[in-house]
Amino acid sequence: MSAGPQRSPRPQILLLVLVCWLLVSFAYADDLFLDRAADWGLSFSYWNGMTGQYYYPEIIGGGAALFDYDNDGDLDVFLPQGAPLGTGKPTLPPPAQPGGRLFRNDLISKETRKDVPRFVEVTEASGIRSLVYGTGAATGDVDNDGDLDLYVLAFGANQLWRNRGDGTFEDASKAAGVNDPRFSLSASFADLDRDGWLDLYVANYVDFAVEQNLTCYASSSRRDYCGPSAFPSALDRLYRNRGNGTFEDVSLPSGIASKAGRGMGVVAADLDGDGWQDLFVANDGMFNFLWRNLGTRQGGLRFEEIGLPAGVAVNADGETEANMGIAAGDFDADGDDDLFVTHMAGETNTLWVNDGKGSFEDRTNATRLGAPSLPSTGFGTAWIDYDNDGWLDLLAANGAVTEVEERVRAGDAYPYAQTHQLLRNLGLSSDGLRFADVSREAGAPFQQREIGRGAAFGDIDNDGDMDVLIVNTNGPARLLINQAGNRRPWLGLRLMDAKRDLLGARVAVVRKGGPILWRRAATDGSYAAANDPRVLVGLGDAAEVTEIRVVWPDGKTEVFPPAPLRTYTTLIQGTGKPLVQEKKPEKKP
Amino acid sequence: MRLTLRLGTFLLALAGLALAATLAAAPPPIPSPDLSSLEPAVAQQIQERQNALRDLYGRDPDPRELAGAWADLGMHYQAYKLTGPAEESYRKAMALDAKDPRWPHLLGGLLQDAGRLDEAVTAYNRALELAPEDVPALVHLGEIHLLQGRREEGEAALRKALTAVPEDAATNALLGQAAVERGDFREAVDRLEAALRTAPGANRLHYPLSRAYRGLGQAEKATEHLGKVGTVGVRPDDPILDSLESLRTGERARLESGKRAYNAGRLSEAAEEFRAALKARPESVEARINLAAALARQGDTNGAITNLREAVKLAPANPTARYNLGLLLAAGGAIPEAIEHLTAAVAARPQDAEAHRALAQLLRDAGRTEEALKEYAQAIEKAPSDEAARLGRAETLVRTGQYAPARDLLEEDLKALPQSGLLAHGLARLLAACPDLSLRNGSRALELALAVWNAQPIPAYAETVALAWAELGRCDEAARWEQTAIEAAQKAGFPEQALGEMKKVAERFGQGGGCRP
Repeated sequence: MSAGPQRSPRPQILLLVLVCWLLVSFAYADDLFLDRAADWGLSFSYWNGMTGQYYYPEIIGGGAALFDYDNDGDLDVFLPQGAPLGTGKPTLPPPAQPGGRLFRNDLISKETRKDVPRFVEVTEASGIRSLVYGTGAATGDVDNDGDLDLYVLAFGANQLWRNRGDGTFEDASKAAGVNDPRFSLSASFADLDRDGWLDLYVANYVDFAVEQNLTCYASSSRRDYCGPSAFPSALDRLYRNRGNGTFEDVSLPSGIASKAGRGMGVVAADLDGDGWQDLFVANDGMFNFLWRNLGTRQGGLRFEEIGLPAGVAVNADGETEANMGIAAGDFDADGDDDLFVTHMAGETNTLWVNDGKGSFEDRTNATRLGAPSLPSTGFGTAWIDYDNDGWLDLLAANGAVTEVEERVRAGDAYPYAQTHQLLRNLGLSSDGLRFADVSREAGAPFQQREIGRGAAFGDIDNDGDMDVLIVNTNGPARLLINQAGNRRPWLGLRLMDAKRDLLGARVAVVRKGGPILWRRAATDGSYAAANDPRVLVGLGDAAEVTEIRVVWPDGKTEVFPPAPLRTYTTLIQGTGKPLVQEKKPEKKP
Repeated sequence: MRLTLRLGTFLLALAGLALAATLAAAPPPIPSPDLSSLEPAVAQQIQERQNALRDLYGRDPDPRELAGAWADLGMHYQAYKLTGPAEESYRKAMALDAKDPRWPHLLGGLLQDAGRLDEAVTAYNRALELAPEDVPALVHLGEIHLLQGRREEGEAALRKALTAVPEDAATNALLGQAAVERGDFREAVDRLEAALRTAPGANRLHYPLSRAYRGLGQAEKATEHLGKVGTVGVRPDDPILDSLESLRTGERARLESGKRAYNAGRLSEAAEEFRAALKARPESVEARINLAAALARQGDTNGAITNLREAVKLAPANPTARYNLGLLLAAGGAIPEAIEHLTAAVAARPQDAEAHRALAQLLRDAGRTEEALKEYAQAIEKAPSDEAARLGRAETLVRTGQYAPARDLLEEDLKALPQSGLLAHGLARLLAACPDLSLRNGSRALELALAVWNAQPIPAYAETVALAWAELGRCDEAARWEQTAIEAAQKAGFPEQALGEMKKVAERFGQGGGCRP
């Protein structure tokens, strides 16, 4: 059969192609989030080093940090990496380059301004050599020099990487005295004693040693990972920043060392409205801790643990749950921070609503957050107003810790994958505040089955809506870019003193025709992650801002006039005047 | 044409019948997990149920009989949380016998466990259509509706269930929790108290009860119940779903069931499960240790010791077996053997602070103070907040007459743990009554003793206040405080002999004796 002259495609084929294209386009157009990790150069998979021995740390990590380490106005990324455990042969090939990786975001750079972020791996140049079994990350400016430092949590000694301000880091772990050797997952930087320096709380998990590994089984009788109760709990640590580059371990005198837990998440926030930041610690399978900050009246930092009487140690039934990631935020717009904690499949994630004085009620079922979370095991989470309607929604990065039978049957080598979830706050109605699971409508990233762990939250493309970086065990990290949030008006705020972000500062955005929106500047929360310290406020249909009020970490309140919408503005303590932060890119000649 | 059509229809029908007959005889594909990775006993058990089902298909069975075999297989799958194959099996059973309420009930339980609540509601409703008297299904429905935030529907189902079984603990507990949620604290208290009357061991219920009392403004009751909160909950009685537990076989499954029962405080059940695990694998060290723990908690110390000795024989380096055996032997006075086992425990698990402390205490009591001090140091290094270890170390020094080092260490310890009443009291006692008079410091002792008494008014603290006053030469105050100690001891139910000793001290102080001149 000879080849004939080329023919134009048949009209039917053209029509089919057009229909397919339209279908795909509509599908993408409707997606609330798209994964841009591969497109934008963020190529990373967390490798847990598994060898078939079921070492406990394998099922726990890893985390992520979203932080503007080079102070160029966009969020860069640090991702801790797993490492080999024991002497067995790894089941999966190790990463090409061992250790945690730093990616610079070139959305804004000296040379050019790009339309979209572009991530460039700069680990070697940065000097970061994080070859520990990395589990999580925390960020804060520990030396008040105006740039964010990086704390890497690990199964093994934690690391403090001091930012030199020139794009490089130095290992200050030992010199600073914060190289806690325990199995740590999350940490929080907060100025707990209000002396102007960021202190550090490290949530430690369990006392596990590779050489004392245990054998555990799933309900099916297959070999599986042990649960946390198989191991002794570990003491958390509180380090007071001396202001001279070193920290003092005040775990004992502060009272923090009086109780050992299995800390997975930690958040610092003034939960009882007394002006001092308290600490909430999510403990796996144990009572959560609420460390009430008693201030420094007795000569040093003092805390008392009040989780049970405050109503946040257990759920409404009195049941101890597998507490993992934490979201602290004012979801009901009543001026105080409420707590949401992710849990294991078979348990609900739990919402504890604050009465403003630090007393909480479990309102999980009433807000309809219980049922959707039952099939999944949640880790990273945050209150995010993904659609900028003024009401804080929730995202949970999910992934099991015990075998998922369905995945075993599907032949997964590592059968722990689940889908992530997005829950929309429907706002006030006659039935009170309620949430709806909108994961099905949220796009492809919420349909994929992955082993979600840490999730870091921030506006990665600086377009005025909240994006998410999710770390998956033995799978690619996902950069979930919000496609729809900035259709509604928003306000971006950075709360600072002359040099650094004032973590723990609370801001009230007063609007005409809508409730006051309270938000908090913080990098902590979620699970094993560090978040964007900037505050992004969706304004919904009440976009006329009349006043911005800031309660600074030192307890002082300051009022600012309205800041311009749809851009980031810096509020510097004591100036009373907003400073538009948006950086204009230099044009290339 | 018409004829052809009729003939064609006839042939088609004939083929259909033949196909149907073939299908009826041949078993459909049986859902199965990968049995190779299961414990052999479990795999064999499942294989047997699968074979039984296949055999049945070969015997022209009644559909109801087939349904029963499918459900039986499903139950075995469900017993091992093999959810997918279990669901398929139950759905087959329901298709074959749509009238049997047990199959949708089982499916409801399976789906509820999997968190597929809407589907579970459908299944339970079907079970209730077929058997309106299925009270457990009603309770499950109520429970699910509460989880879904559909409180009114949930409470309606639970109230209906309660009319059938008025004292049911789980139903009352669920209704009580629902009442807390809607702010009807009076009803919540009534329901939860009723649940606790039926199931007094369900100490988790004290938590919602505490919240209910707090809602009523009864702070004292709220605090009382908060202090009783434990981990034992209450679950709805459900003979159909409860029967799944008995299907589990093999060491691993029994161990898991036993641990669950143990954690829930059902100790006899736990012991039975651990025995079953041992039967499945007699060399199971874990089963021995767990059986010993369950027996010990039931007061059968000898049984516990026997099992732990067996465990040690099987695994001489097992730190848990050694530690538990050491503690039990020590409690029975067999100190040298206890020391031997605790020494082995710390050797096997050097980071175990509790084992170091327990060993230190035994060594101290055996007069081996140098070794005791080393073990205390280890315990403190491993767990710096262990105030009991710090106090034990100081007490050891006091016993050997090293009063000044004991005092200095206690001062240091108190700096490290300023909120420790135990250490403050230990130091106060030493400063008030140290045999080396030169080390006494009445003022500081009084300050410390009053602080701990104010924080926690127990007899020992009042006695130390009295001793401090005596050291300050104030016998009148010493006598008054010794009297306070006696009153506190009476309240606490101290035995007469102890009270008599305290009264003698008070009398001596009252007469001006025992005080520093």
